[in-house]
Amino acid sequence: MPCFLILRLPLFLVFGGQLYSPEIEKLLKQKKVKIGSRVRITKGRGSYGGILMPQTDLGNPNSIVLKLDNGYNIGVAYDKKLKLRKLKGGKKVRFRPSRLTIRPDPTKPMVSMLGCGGTIASRIEYTTGAVFPVFSPNDLLLSFPQLKDIANLRGHKLFDLLSEDITLEHWQVIANETAKAIDKGADGVVLMHGTDTMHYTAAALSFMLQGLPVPVVLVGSQRSSDRGSSDNAMNLTCAVTAAAKADIAQVMVCMHASINDDYCHLHAGTKVRKMHTSRRDAFKSVNVLPYAKVSYIEKPGSIEYLREDFNRRNGGRLVVDDKINSNVALVYTHPNIKPEFIDSLRAYDGVVIAGTGLGHMPTNPSSDNLAKSILPSLKSLIAIGIPVVIAPQTIFGRLNMNVYTTGRMLNEIGVIGNGCDWTPETALVKLMWVLGHTKEPNRVRDMMLKNYVGEISERTDTR
Amino acid sequence: MADEINYKRIKMKSGLEIHQQLNTERKLFCNCSTAMAKRETIMEVQRKLHPVASELGEVDMAAQYEYLRDRIFNYQVFRGESCLVELDEEPPHDLNRRALHTALQIALLLNCEIPEEVHIMRKTVIDGSNTTGFQRTAIVGMNGYLRYKGKKIEIAQVCLEEDAAAIVEQGEHTATYRLNRLGVPLVEISTGVMQGFSPEDVQEIAYLIGIIVRSVEKVKHGIGSIRQDLNVSIRNGPRVEIKGIQELGILAKVVKKEVERQMSLPKMKHETRAVNVDGTTYFTRPLPGSARMYPETDVKSITITKEYIKGIRADLPEPLTKKLTRFKSKFKLSNDLAAQVINSKYLELFEKIVKNRRLDASVVANTFVSTLKDLRRRERVDIRQLESRHFIDLFNKLAKKVIVKEAIPDILKYLAKDPKSSVSAAVSELNLEVMKTSDLIRMVQALAKENPDLNKDKIIGVVMSRVRGRVNSEDVVRIVKRFRKK
Repeated sequence: MPCFLILRLPLFLVFGGQLYSPEIEKLLKQKKVKIGSRVRITKGRGSYGGILMPQTDLGNPNSIVLKLDNGYNIGVAYDKKLKLRKLKGGKKVRFRPSRLTIRPDPTKPMVSMLGCGGTIASRIEYTTGAVFPVFSPNDLLLSFPQLKDIANLRGHKLFDLLSEDITLEHWQVIANETAKAIDKGADGVVLMHGTDTMHYTAAALSFMLQGLPVPVVLVGSQRSSDRGSSDNAMNLTCAVTAAAKADIAQVMVCMHASINDDYCHLHAGTKVRKMHTSRRDAFKSVNVLPYAKVSYIEKPGSIEYLREDFNRRNGGRLVVDDKINSNVALVYTHPNIKPEFIDSLRAYDGVVIAGTGLGHMPTNPSSDNLAKSILPSLKSLIAIGIPVVIAPQTIFGRLNMNVYTTGRMLNEIGVIGNGCDWTPETALVKLMWVLGHTKEPNRVRDMMLKNYVGEISERTDTR
Repeated sequence: MADEINYKRIKMKSGLEIHQQLNTERKLFCNCSTAMAKRETIMEVQRKLHPVASELGEVDMAAQYEYLRDRIFNYQVFRGESCLVELDEEPPHDLNRRALHTALQIALLLNCEIPEEVHIMRKTVIDGSNTTGFQRTAIVGMNGYLRYKGKKIEIAQVCLEEDAAAIVEQGEHTATYRLNRLGVPLVEISTGVMQGFSPEDVQEIAYLIGIIVRSVEKVKHGIGSIRQDLNVSIRNGPRVEIKGIQELGILAKVVKKEVERQMSLPKMKHETRAVNVDGTTYFTRPLPGSARMYPETDVKSITITKEYIKGIRADLPEPLTKKLTRFKSKFKLSNDLAAQVINSKYLELFEKIVKNRRLDASVVANTFVSTLKDLRRRERVDIRQLESRHFIDLFNKLAKKVIVKEAIPDILKYLAKDPKSSVSAAVSELNLEVMKTSDLIRMVQALAKENPDLNKDKIIGVVMSRVRGRVNSEDVVRIVKRFRKK
């Protein structure tokens, strides 16, 4: 019965719409046939009995999908000669919530689970493959009974969204709901979130949640939850473990450390990035070590700390500082980037540019005939009070704008970021947050270069 | 007592599921090679599976949880033969159209109806043989049939699916699998319920299906490329499924033994059993309910147009069943031997060689079917080293009576170890030139004279041990009889 889709909504309908053509819809209505009804379709020589399925959204809307008694689906193309008859049997496709009752164990920590995406905790209805977004700790425990041995769970769903649709307003909701959960006594908070933009949310929460007394752990999964191999089980188990037990009062991302199901890494929220489209170990710490690893196979539940420079659990007071400015752009420089494009960025309150190498963009210091400098355009952006921040497009490594002439020129006109090792995404989120507080250029520069939550590392570790 | 069973009276019902690997260059949902030729693993990946939803509800979830809790699966990775798709680290690519084409050819040869739209399904599997926890499978043919002894045998369905990873070793809490087999295209043919047939009939029907399947070009040959599952029940009894029978020749025996077993038990459950080498079976797990399948949403469904099917039908290969009839009548091969030759990867070579009228086709067939198998199994000879030219040369020499058929195993063994060598070199090196009849007569005569006490059989034994591989055993028997009556 139950299972959770953490993250991706499969390319399939979520109950409701059937994605059939008007002709088929008309026929179904006329025969009083619904998804899940037993029907017999006769067409030419062929005659097939089975359960009416919804059409997939990649499928041909003009053919009827039938689940045969052997469990297989086939499609029958609709035409006027097709005959459809309703049979007895079939069942209503619906979601049945878990009827588990679990008594809290007063000796265990309390972890608050907040759902930040529509499919974060979804169950698949196996007859049709329809996905039901659900969220309740009991439904979670039905699929992952091991969680009850780690902590008492409570929580709820905040919204139904794919992570690419998450906005700054959602970050504010998450930040405030997290604070509320902590106020109500949670020993840690787990945020279930789509993976595509999880590192943006992690960075935003890192800036917004100041004086954090307990761990806040973002978790997701790279494989759909209908399958036995989904990484959701290990990621969730490790995330709940971290929220319940880790002595790290920071915003973190908890995901697979390798393609083995052996342990997760707890990454710093400002230093983590999704580095692969599909692998379960897509999230990597950039320029720093992860805070810790949480074991799953050997010594399950044990936490090994890999760093010491983080805040411990404390009795301090959490302050939510969620002022943020959404009018910021992140762009890539590239060969032949047009000065006119840079000019068009005037519409923004701030710009992050992912520069090449140590922190470069075309400035044409050798006055080549073919090369075009964007330096004048950058200069005029800065002159009208639009901060220009630079981050490395190499992702790994630190900017150093003293080595080449170009870097020195950019530094001179006031591009912000020399010596920083932030990712372009963290630089973007930080600039959004800073511009939520001030637009005064010198104040913006000072705040950008101040290290708030480890977004700029002091030294680059040799791994 | 086994011979006494009247299979009609006990209402034996049986069903076959035949799995045939396809020989497309690439796998079903990725671009990895299907060669399965690499020996060295480049890495091993460790995984766990967790319980998934089930029709059986919360009770089954708990059982799955218990089963999987301490279980760890290891997957061996082979260069070029497995990628992130097999590791469940990348979504499947589009379905291999070449494999679909071949599967549709098979479905049409089995007189199936072809669905207008093919939908890929996920069939839940939690024994670790699929890294995803499910097998991708699609129905490509339904309601087909084949003719056997004037009767119609129903072909319920033909499916195109991905092969599972092959087990390497199984411990108490761990299992290791090879990923190079995972994702190799596989065609599964399921018969309807067959009643009124003997165990021998069931075996012949399996052979027949195998032969029809192998009529198309892109199917794999050799060990493990075709596997059978068998369902058996008797009068009102429950159905028992026996999985993974790789040797067609023992199918009748498996059916008989299973019927005997079922008859000897007062009460029985639906269950799944696996087969031992001797044809007996052992319990593996209770038979799952109707296979739990749901749509594979990462792969688009495929529309099968009438024109597409018309094209395949127009170009359909001639079924090998016709060849089977010809081999039996023209070469006087037994049904089993003829079927085995057709199922072997040496079919083409066999046909080329037996064009030489001076050769006894059953000797050639037996070489390809039995001798090679014995060399591989009993003497661990790497028969993959043997090339067509070796066999052509070998049978040329046999036809010219330079060697006798008894020399074949030794020569093949020699060539497998030293493939660059030749048949002539093997013959002289191993001293296998055929012995002149006059020399043989002289030798027998001398032996008989020196050992007046030895009887006929003893003398034959001594002669054979001295001239093994150089004379026809029939000749030895004939000549010894001339000098020793008793």
